[in-house]
Amino acid sequence: MGCSSSLPDRSSGQLAGLNSENGGVSDAKNLRVKLVLLGDSGVGKSCIVLRFVRGQFDPTSKVTVGASFLSQTIALQDSTTVKFEIWDTAGQERYAALAPLYYRGAAVAVVVYDITSPESFAKAQYWVKELQKHGSPDIVMALVGNKADLNEKREVPVQDGIDYAEKNGMFFIETSAKTADNINQLFEEIAKRLPRPASS
Amino acid sequence: MAELSFNLLHTLDPRRDAYGFALRPQHTQRYKEYAKIYKEEEGERSDKWKEFLERLAISDQPCSSDEEYKETLQVEATECKVETVLESEESDESSGRKSISDGSKERDLEKEVHHSKETKTHEVQTWAQIRPSLSAIEIMMSSQIRTSKDMIDEQKTISGDHLPSIEEAKSPGGASEEEFDGDIYVNATSDDNANAAGTVTAEVDKVSSKNLFPLKEEVEFLVRGGVPKDLRGEVWQAFVGVKTRRVERYYQNLLAQEASDGEHKEHEDSSGVPKKWKRQIEKDIPRTFPGHPALDDNGRNSLRRLLLAYARHNPSVGYCQAMNFFAGLLLLLMPEENAFWTLVGIIDDYFGGYYTEEMIESQVDQLVFEELMRERFPKLVNHLDYLGVQVAWISGPWFLSIFVNMIPWESVFRVWDVLLFEGNRVMLFRTALALMELYGPALVTTKDAGDAITLLQSLAGSTFDSSQLVLTACMGFLAVTEARLQELRTKHRPAVLVVVEERSKRGRVWKDSKGLASKLYSFKHDPVSLIEEKKSTEGGDSLADEDKSSLNGTTNLDELLNGLSVDSELDSLPDLQEQVVWLKVELCRLLEEKRAAVLRAEELETALMEMVKQDNRRELSARVELLEQELAELKQALADKREQETAMLQVLMRLEQEQRVTEDARISAEQDAAAQRYAVHVLQERYEKALASVAEMEKRVVVAESMLEATLQYESGQSKAHASPRSTRNQDTPTRKTGLLSFGLGWRDRNKGKPTDVKESNLSHSTNEGMDPSSSEKETKNEQKET
Repeated sequence: MGCSSSLPDRSSGQLAGLNSENGGVSDAKNLRVKLVLLGDSGVGKSCIVLRFVRGQFDPTSKVTVGASFLSQTIALQDSTTVKFEIWDTAGQERYAALAPLYYRGAAVAVVVYDITSPESFAKAQYWVKELQKHGSPDIVMALVGNKADLNEKREVPVQDGIDYAEKNGMFFIETSAKTADNINQLFEEIAKRLPRPASS
Repeated sequence: MAELSFNLLHTLDPRRDAYGFALRPQHTQRYKEYAKIYKEEEGERSDKWKEFLERLAISDQPCSSDEEYKETLQVEATECKVETVLESEESDESSGRKSISDGSKERDLEKEVHHSKETKTHEVQTWAQIRPSLSAIEIMMSSQIRTSKDMIDEQKTISGDHLPSIEEAKSPGGASEEEFDGDIYVNATSDDNANAAGTVTAEVDKVSSKNLFPLKEEVEFLVRGGVPKDLRGEVWQAFVGVKTRRVERYYQNLLAQEASDGEHKEHEDSSGVPKKWKRQIEKDIPRTFPGHPALDDNGRNSLRRLLLAYARHNPSVGYCQAMNFFAGLLLLLMPEENAFWTLVGIIDDYFGGYYTEEMIESQVDQLVFEELMRERFPKLVNHLDYLGVQVAWISGPWFLSIFVNMIPWESVFRVWDVLLFEGNRVMLFRTALALMELYGPALVTTKDAGDAITLLQSLAGSTFDSSQLVLTACMGFLAVTEARLQELRTKHRPAVLVVVEERSKRGRVWKDSKGLASKLYSFKHDPVSLIEEKKSTEGGDSLADEDKSSLNGTTNLDELLNGLSVDSELDSLPDLQEQVVWLKVELCRLLEEKRAAVLRAEELETALMEMVKQDNRRELSARVELLEQELAELKQALADKREQETAMLQVLMRLEQEQRVTEDARISAEQDAAAQRYAVHVLQERYEKALASVAEMEKRVVVAESMLEATLQYESGQSKAHASPRSTRNQDTPTRKTGLLSFGLGWRDRNKGKPTDVKESNLSHSTNEGMDPSSSEKETKNEQKET
């Protein structure tokens, strides 16, 4: 899990450290963002992260126990960088008891479902409600329909996802960790939607 | 067992370690380095254990030698074969069952057995006794289990037999084929068992009276050094007390129930494993050690059966992600049923309340761990707080997975060795603390949350020095004991319960009954004693399960009846009628008990919630106060820092000014020095000119002197020539001439004296000038020093 690509940002003075208390912003040009992935078991949360961070896809990946962490930095066109600190949580229902530990204080929540599984879509809606009640009030939420490569087995229509996302003020995208479709776009779009700190 | 296949395999595949687990690419190199060390350590420890076991065998167990064990195994193997045939008739699912456990070649003891097995390829070994030489350890460990479960102990001393399972099997046989099958087993092994029973009962006394402590200490020492690979499966079973836990046919019954449930699906809602667990298990099976050579189709079927059986055995846990890894791990080391009982021991006992629906105990443990961290590593925790990292983010997954997939496999095994030996979660805490001790210094240097977490994850993932880890854990944190942990758990539990209660109130219907159940479960610190208690009553196994689940408030009458009918069919005891009557009575009693228990549970819950609320309010307000205090302190600290900063800035500015002044002084001094040097130069030139002019003057003087002398001579010659007549007339001239002469001489003398004078004055002047710049430099130096 070691190889996150992190830029040597914030190598500046010691006095600058005091304002970085809560997992958020460091300065106007280099943002740090805590992101949490939620969703039913087996929808491909870990695969999305692995694809985004390492560019790999493993069809037989391991069950996530508890949660796992990876980070990745991307550069935007306006020459700002965004360092995503990604918490990939376990999908089984009972691990929901531990989820608040990870989504508390997160600036971004990515709620993932599997387009071939209506149950996972229902579960995604549960997570959205949970986040609306207990997440940070200004959390940026994205709804992601994964496994878009399995279009012939699709059971959740695109429009359902779009509608639900719109109703809840979320960003919506369908991805495929397997083919890498829309994975980078997902994170870039999230980065664009982040609230920027007032430039100093 | 599967070791055979993966021992062969790891030589072929460099991406997998000696246990057949995948290595991360970044670790292959380090693993290679450590593989040699592991091999050495393995050699040492297998010698130590061999010597130890031999000693045990000689001193304690003269009767049951390994020879007999071999025979037993052989007999069991044949027995198992018959069983497979029978089972394949019973259900389709279990017919596909094959052994994933095919004996390691390392095991000298089993070699012969396995040779004979290789010829009979369709054989299944679902249960195997561990070698007798380990039974002393087993007895020692199961005496621990028994102390918490008096009932079963009592029953044993009455019957005078240490093997309840065998006694059950011995019970007078019916006409069914299965019973016949059981008879073969009993007949073939009864001699051994009679012997063993005798020695063992004798030994329980011996061990409990004098031998326990030295033996335990010795084993503890050995365990900390690691258990040899080829003994590990059996030693773990001895630690967990598999033999004591095991109820004959219980596992098979669970599987049979499962299979029959699968056939008539209309029963879905009543009994059996809920659909969601089945689905979860199906999802997770291919994601358990993917690609491991031992987990082929057969291995995966074993894994499925094991998890389904467990879910049925303990509905308050059912299936929880992470158990798939534990079950898979155990299946690599032991036969299926042994793995089942080991899993039961671990999840029900060691990790009671951990993997239940609300995971209360695991949350409690996180709070406990955080407190221990604050106690042991205040600086590190301060730093993590400063970065905004919560300890539980990282330690949570460690604890829940018991380090599987978190640290290298060799280390996982070593930690499990100690953990299973100790029979509680102390090793979990100690290992986590040891990791923090090892990697804390590196963590303190990190500058943001992401880096800190990434670093800790990757450092933990490369903890190849398993001996260092285990020793640090065992020796470095002796103050972390079970008693201390229990104390801390009771302190932190109310806070968790309040949160859990809030969650379940949020209209999550599916949690209602089970919420209560697992709460009670977690409050009851010896849940297994209950099971064991029921197990000890006749009619045994599945009743125990039903009983327990009825206590948990999850079963209904249908299930109970269903379970009973299956049970009685399978056991097919002689007096069926009597049995039915008795069971009915028992059933009524149980139902009454259930009702009472439910009522009591409700009462308890309300009382509990009341207590918890009060307690929590108090604690919350205390915490708020504490936090406020901390905040005030922090603010104070911040203000102080600011003050210090401004003070520092002022000092800095003053220093800068001073420096500027001294710099100026230095520059002016340098200028002075240059000017003076220039003056010296000019003077030097002038001096040289003067010298030159003096030299010329001297020449002229010499010329003048010679002319003067010539004139004098001429004068004297003239005076001699004009002596008498012209003497009066010429009187004036000589006086004038001598006057001129004396002037010339005087001037010459004066001139001769002058050069030295000039030189002297010049010299003194130049030295003066030479002195000046250096002294001024000294001054500037002094000034610089002052700055």
